Amino acid sequence: MRWSLLLGLALVASALLLVHTAYESRRLFTEIERARSQHRQLERDHQRLEAERRAQATHLRIERMARDRLAMRAATPALVHVVADPGPATAAGGRR
Amino acid sequence: MRRAASPARAAGAVRSVNYASSPLLAARTPPWRSRLVVALIGLGSCVLLARAAYVQLIGAEFFQAQGEKRFAHTLVLHGSRGRILDRDGQLLAISVEAPSIWAIPRDLAADRARRQQLAAALGMAPAELERRLADNPNFVWLRRQTDDATAARVRALALRGVHQTREYRRRYPEGEAAAHVVGFTDIEQRGQEGVELAFEPRLRGRDGSRDVIRDRFGRIVEDFGNQIAPVHGADVVLSIDAKVQALAFRAIRDAVAEHRAKAASAVVLDARSGEVLALANYPSFDPQRRQRLSGAQLRNRALTDTFEPGSTVKPFIAAWAIESGRATPDLVIDTGPGWMTVTGSTVRDHEPMGMLTLATAVQRSSNIAFVRLALQMPPREMWQLYRDLGFGQRPQIDFPGAVSGRLRPYRSWRPIEQATMSYGYGLSASLLQLARSYTVFVDGELLPVTLLRRAGPVAGQRVLSPATALQMRGMLELATGAQGTAPRAQTVGWSVGGKTGTALKQDGSGYASDRYRASFVGIAPVDAPRIIVAVMVDEPRAGRFFGGQVAAPVFSQIAQHTLRTLDVAPDRSFAQQIVAKDAAALPEHYR
Repeated sequence: MRWSLLLGLALVASALLLVHTAYESRRLFTEIERARSQHRQLERDHQRLEAERRAQATHLRIERMARDRLAMRAATPALVHVVADPGPATAAGGRR
Repeated sequence: MRRAASPARAAGAVRSVNYASSPLLAARTPPWRSRLVVALIGLGSCVLLARAAYVQLIGAEFFQAQGEKRFAHTLVLHGSRGRILDRDGQLLAISVEAPSIWAIPRDLAADRARRQQLAAALGMAPAELERRLADNPNFVWLRRQTDDATAARVRALALRGVHQTREYRRRYPEGEAAAHVVGFTDIEQRGQEGVELAFEPRLRGRDGSRDVIRDRFGRIVEDFGNQIAPVHGADVVLSIDAKVQALAFRAIRDAVAEHRAKAASAVVLDARSGEVLALANYPSFDPQRRQRLSGAQLRNRALTDTFEPGSTVKPFIAAWAIESGRATPDLVIDTGPGWMTVTGSTVRDHEPMGMLTLATAVQRSSNIAFVRLALQMPPREMWQLYRDLGFGQRPQIDFPGAVSGRLRPYRSWRPIEQATMSYGYGLSASLLQLARSYTVFVDGELLPVTLLRRAGPVAGQRVLSPATALQMRGMLELATGAQGTAPRAQTVGWSVGGKTGTALKQDGSGYASDRYRASFVGIAPVDAPRIIVAVMVDEPRAGRFFGGQVAAPVFSQIAQHTLRTLDVAPDRSFAQQIVAKDAAALPEHYR
C-alpha cells in the first residue's frame, strides 16, 4: 500500500516534469528559430552592405574622388623611393 | 404476453438471454427488443470500424494531407548563387536580397487616393500602376527586386491585396569596368553572359525545403517530415585583378575619347602563369542597368572579334628565323628602295630603309625584311609556327564566344599570301590570342591562358629556346627605344618591349583606305617579364592612327600602373623627383 502511494506520487511528479519539459522544449525551439531567422536576416544584410561597400570603394571611384576632391595624383616611380627589405617578413607576403 | 404463461417458453427465453438466474429478475421485455439493441450496437460498431478502416487505411493519404494543411507549412530555403571574386577576393558579383512587391488586384481594396499613394510609394506613375493592375485580376508584379526603402514605404500603407516576397538580385560593384568579363544574369538569376554564363553550373545554388508546424501566431513550433538542405552555389575566383582591370578600362576609355575611336580593347596577362589579369573593352555597359543596350556595348571584343594582327606578328618570324638558324639579330637584310615585287604584287615599306640588321628591322618594322625572311621558309614550316603560337585555334578558355581566328591551310598559300602573312595580313586573331602568343617571348613557351586563379607558374608548350626568347626581348625593347616605332610605349622606371601594329581594316573583299586598327603588344619588364599587355584601338579618327601613336601610349599607361600595383621593383634608372617637401607638382593629363 505504501509502495503504490510512493509510485503514484512518483508518477505524478514525472508527468508534471514531462509537461514542463515539453513546454520548455517548445519555448527553446521558438527561441532558436527566432535566433536562426535573425541570423539569416543579418547574413542578408551583411551581403547587401558588403556589396554596397564594394560599390563605394571601386578603384575608378576612389581615383576620381582622390583626384577631384582631394587633388591627389597617382604616384609615378619618380616619386617613389624603393627600399629593399632584407628581413624574412617580406618573403611571405608580397602584395597587399 | 403474460408472465410464466408457458414455462417451457420462459425457460427457453432464459436460456437464450440469461439476464439473471432469479426468475424475479427475469425481464419483462420481449427478447427481440434486446436483440434489436444488440444488433444495432453491433451494426454501429461495424460502421465505426469500417469508417476507421477507411480513414486509416484507404483514405489515409487524403486525410493526412488535409490535416497537415491546417498546421504544416513548407518553407523554401534559399540556395544562394555563388559569388564571383577577383584574385584577391574582391567582389565582382554577389547576390543580395531584394524585396519584390506583387498584388492580387481582385483583393485590392483601395480607392483612388490610396492607389495614388501606392503608386507614389512604388515610384511609378498612377497610370502605369493602373495598367499593371488591369493586367491580370489574380496576380501582378508591381515592382520586382526593388530596394528596402520602397518595400518599407509600401508596407507602411498596409493595403489589402498587396504582398511582398523575398527575391535576390545580382549586384556588380565594379560596374562597367568588368562588365564584359563578369557578364550578367537574367532576373531569375540564370547566367546570360560572361563568367556568369560560363560557370553557371558551379555558381548556381539549389533551393532546399523544410516542413514545419506553425502555431496560431505563425511561429514555427516543430520540424517534421523532410528537410532538404539548400545547396549554395560555389564561389568562382577569377584571375582578374580588379585594380588592374579598372585601370586598363580607364586607359582604353580615355584612348577612345582622345582618338575619337570606335572601340578599344586591352588584355593584361600574367607573364609567368598565363592568367588573365584584366580584359577590358570599351564601349561597355553597366550590368545593373541593361535597358537599351546595343550589341556594340555588349560585345566582348577582346575575345570575340578577330582582326588581322598586322606588324605585331613580325617578331615571330624573326624569332623563328633565329631559332631555325637562318638568321642572327645582326644578320643584314637588304630592303632595297622600300618596295619589292612578289609574283606581280608589290610590298612596300612606309619609307625606304636600305640595309637593315634583323634587330633594326624589328625596331623599325620593315615589311620587306620580313617578307625576305618568310620566303626562305617553306609554307608548312611557317604555318606550323603560327599554329604553335595558337593562331587559328580556339583558345582553351572557359568563356562563351571565344573565337578561333583564321589561319588558312598552308597547301592553299600562294607566295604573295605567304609574304603578306609575314607582316600580319591574311590571318586573323583575337586580341586575347595575340596577347597569348607573346608569352613565347617570356621563356620560349606558349602558356595556356585562364580566367581562373592559378596557384603558380605553369608549363607551356615550347616553341622557342629560352636563348632565342631572350634575344627577341632585346629586339622588342629596341622597338620601344628612341629609334623604334613606339617610343611612347616607354614607362618611367621599368623596361618594356613590344611591337606596334597598324592594319588597314577589311572592307568587304578589299581594304578600306582610311580605316585603321592600331595595336600594340608588349612585355614588361624586359629582363624578368611579369606582364604582357595587348592593346587594340579600332578606327582612331582624330588624325593619328599608327599603333605607335595611338596604342603604345595606352600600353605605357597600363604597364606603368600595373607594375606599380604588382609591386614590381623598377629596373631602369630615372630622374628622382623626391627632393624637397614642397616640390611643385607636375602638370598631369586627366581624361
